[in-house]
Amino acid sequence: MAAFLRSKCPSVGRTLMGGLGNSLFGAANSSVEAVTRSSHCDAISQQIRTFIQMRTNLKVVDNSGAKRVMCIQSLRGKKGARLGDTIIGSVKEAQPRGKVKKGDVVYGVVVRAAMKKGRSDGSEVQFDDNAIVLVNNKGELIGTRVFGPVPHELRKKKHLKILALAEHIV
Amino acid sequence: MRLEKCWFCSSTIYPGHGIQFVRNDAKIFRFCRSKCHKNFKMKRNPRKVKWTKAYRQLHGKDMTKDTTFEFERKRNRPERYDRNLTEQTLKAIPLITKIRHDRLEKHISNRHKPGKRKEMEKDSKELDQDIGMLPKKLISNEVTAEKTKIKVKVVQQQTEDNAMEE
Repeated sequence: MAAFLRSKCPSVGRTLMGGLGNSLFGAANSSVEAVTRSSHCDAISQQIRTFIQMRTNLKVVDNSGAKRVMCIQSLRGKKGARLGDTIIGSVKEAQPRGKVKKGDVVYGVVVRAAMKKGRSDGSEVQFDDNAIVLVNNKGELIGTRVFGPVPHELRKKKHLKILALAEHIV
Repeated sequence: MRLEKCWFCSSTIYPGHGIQFVRNDAKIFRFCRSKCHKNFKMKRNPRKVKWTKAYRQLHGKDMTKDTTFEFERKRNRPERYDRNLTEQTLKAIPLITKIRHDRLEKHISNRHKPGKRKEMEKDSKELDQDIGMLPKKLISNEVTAEKTKIKVKVVQQQTEDNAMEE
């Protein structure tokens, strides 16, 4: 039975390439042992992702020197910030030689949010984590590089510099 | 507007449906509905989940190699608008789907054919070996006639013996 499947695999793989791309092969490696830790996984995977509010920890994805920032205030929205909004945060963790130090109060633009954001064509986008890019109070970037994918929602919010420096625009 | 394929079940995602999940390595996973999304979050492998197209194609349940699939290959270069081309494409699409569907049905019925042959072999074997187990209605008249013949012979011998004893 295994030999039969293996003989089928090469031809199937090639034809599946067009439709599903490399995603299957990439994720297949990481998705093998599901049964053993299913209960733990369920708890994590069924989390309801909400707004970015006070005390939310965010990852910093530029080279400004900070690593983790805790949100103190969201500058837009009563319930909290979403994708593309600006927040005020306190730097909790920083690299030793950087433009910002631990304990600094900084502004940041949310470039990735775990909460779904609806788009005008009806689709919804969701990222893997909460990430920000540090900005000064005028809106200019502190860092000079941006890591990871960014959404094109930033274009509407006029954060064109971030889009220009981004590795990948979704 | 582009009709995408669901990463998990490979069905088409129409506008306004489903969720896109972007991983930090910039890989985009599109899901047609929350069922597929939840299965993905549970880290299930679509090749092992029976109702997905990936499983069916991997295990030979649905046809994989066919020229009709070539029409749907993703083209990243936009075509220059040509009214005739657009009209002909729109007319061709339902024809292609019909042909693909017919071929798929044929593939599935061919897959079931060996099962029919096996069933007939099994039935003929049963008739040869276990004919006593079958209900009388199913057995043909010739066979029942043979059976009754044998019975009659034994009865005659017995009566002869009785006559002798008296």
